[in-house]
Amino acid sequence: MNVPDGRPALLELDNVSRVYGEEIEVYALRDVSLQIYAGDFMSIVGPSGSGKSTMLGLLGVLDLPTRGEIRIAGQNVGALDDASRSRLRGNSIGFVFQQFHLIPHLTALGNVETALLYRDLRPRERKERAFAALEQLGLGPRADHRPVQMSGGEQQRVALARAIVTDPLMILADEPTGALDSANAAHVLEIFKGLESPERAVVMVTHDLTVANTARRKVSMRDGQIVSDERVASVPS
Amino acid sequence: MSRTRDLLTVAWTGLTSRKVRTLLIMLGPIVGVAAMVGAVGLTESAKGDLKQKLSELGTNLVIANAGGTFGSQDPTFPEDAVQRAQALSSVTDASATTNLSEVIAVPTQGGDDYYQSFPVPVRASDVRLPQVLEVPMLDGRWLSSSDTKLQIQSAVLGAGIAKQYGFLPGENRTVRLNNINFGVVGVLGPVALDPDLDNAVFITQWAAKHYFSTDGKPNQLYVRSQPSKTQATADAIPTAINLGGPDEVSTKVPSDVLQAASQADKTLQQTALFAGLLALAVGGLGIANVMSISVIQRSSEIGIRRAVGHSRSKIGLQFLLESLFVGILGGILGAALGIGIVYLVSSFADWVVVIAYQKIPIWMALALGVSVVAGLYPSVKAARLEPLETLRLG
Repeated sequence: MNVPDGRPALLELDNVSRVYGEEIEVYALRDVSLQIYAGDFMSIVGPSGSGKSTMLGLLGVLDLPTRGEIRIAGQNVGALDDASRSRLRGNSIGFVFQQFHLIPHLTALGNVETALLYRDLRPRERKERAFAALEQLGLGPRADHRPVQMSGGEQQRVALARAIVTDPLMILADEPTGALDSANAAHVLEIFKGLESPERAVVMVTHDLTVANTARRKVSMRDGQIVSDERVASVPS
Repeated sequence: MSRTRDLLTVAWTGLTSRKVRTLLIMLGPIVGVAAMVGAVGLTESAKGDLKQKLSELGTNLVIANAGGTFGSQDPTFPEDAVQRAQALSSVTDASATTNLSEVIAVPTQGGDDYYQSFPVPVRASDVRLPQVLEVPMLDGRWLSSSDTKLQIQSAVLGAGIAKQYGFLPGENRTVRLNNINFGVVGVLGPVALDPDLDNAVFITQWAAKHYFSTDGKPNQLYVRSQPSKTQATADAIPTAINLGGPDEVSTKVPSDVLQAASQADKTLQQTALFAGLLALAVGGLGIANVMSISVIQRSSEIGIRRAVGHSRSKIGLQFLLESLFVGILGGILGAALGIGIVYLVSSFADWVVVIAYQKIPIWMALALGVSVVAGLYPSVKAARLEPLETLRLG
């Protein structure tokens, strides 16, 4: 499926439903269809219980739909076994979480390296690539520090470095500024803007309208369904 | 290959980054293996002096005695019994002695009455006896072919009788054998495998024939065999000597008695081994328990790893490898601790250290097996953890 300007769809949700419970079914998502294209810089917004988290899990291939199909670069993820799905996730998606989710006993470099494991890379090459990602985000001097020795903003930048080090098709962020003060939040948001590229999509799931309004595409959710999908020509700087 | 290296690195980092927890998990295999190494080592070391003696004496000596039939008092072997025994392919050396029961040895002036009441055994021997017994001379020399050739009335004392006589090294001493003086030319060292020889006086076969009219037929045979064929040699000797029936020859392997005495207390050893196994089993439960808690504590890490593309099997293997490392390290440290304990206790108790090194790899493998089995459940649990549940999205 292509958008009018011919960009390919990186990820497609085709009539996807996610139902919890067996006897009494609870729909977290109901018949949702969505296409995410290369170059998209989008936000998914909605109040609590609107299905954002479920959507994030499905977009990140951390979960599978009860019904419907999810395709990444045309490949149906539901048809893959865990190893193939994990490989696809590792290669295609970079995660950024609200609580940073760094591994506490590893250094910043070690945390970024985690995303490069099991890829037939030599340890030296792995370290070089991880260090380059940290440097790109201004964290070269902090490479040997553990998360507990860094500020929230720095930890989120380490998480960003981990997300971009594999050069994924899509960066998926869950409330990326939710645990940061306003100065760090603004800094991180600037970095996100800098990640915008014609080859990849950046998707931010948030309830923060400041964050949502920085996106060029805004998807709104309510009661497990997409209620609007808007594209804006220009965003506030 | 590099993926395996990555997996090993991740597992190793997981262990080394939490040193106290890792040490606590390793206590099970450490205590288990140390208990087993220590139990066997200490019970064996307590008998270590006997084992050492055995290894010095050898376990390949066979003693054959002539047995009597129809009540004969002094049964003997044929005169060429030594040659007959040496005809056996498994025999490496042989020597013979003859009991001279009619000869009264009197070592001191005026002791005739006493030594008639308590006779000292006198034996005629060939020249090879000390070599066959592998016993050194305490003093002087053994009987030689020159004694026969030059018709010297020489005698050698056993170690016990030399002590009883108050024989001083290098002393010129004579013993009277049926009132004939024999010069003492040496003292034979203690014969642990046949202590009877310690209390005997030895003369040459020539002297026995010449002065006491013996027929030169021996009634004891000392035979060294190839080490692996001792019992077979003992069984074959009666037929080889062929006195008209194997019943007339009795053989024994004297080291068997020492060997039995040197065996460690098996009941105590088995009890201690069982305690070690129990420690290992409890340690295994400890590993399973702590690793299971660790999986819960590290659920966020598991979620992150899953999010960055690590598969369920990689996560499971990571935890299983951590258990494997615990087993390997615990086994090594436990073996080292056990050996240390054996050396320490043996040095205080003045024992000869005996360590069952050949069994240590088995116990280490056991510790490894217990650790891996104990790590299975937590590993499966880790692999099954849903990343969405651990990452708390939204």
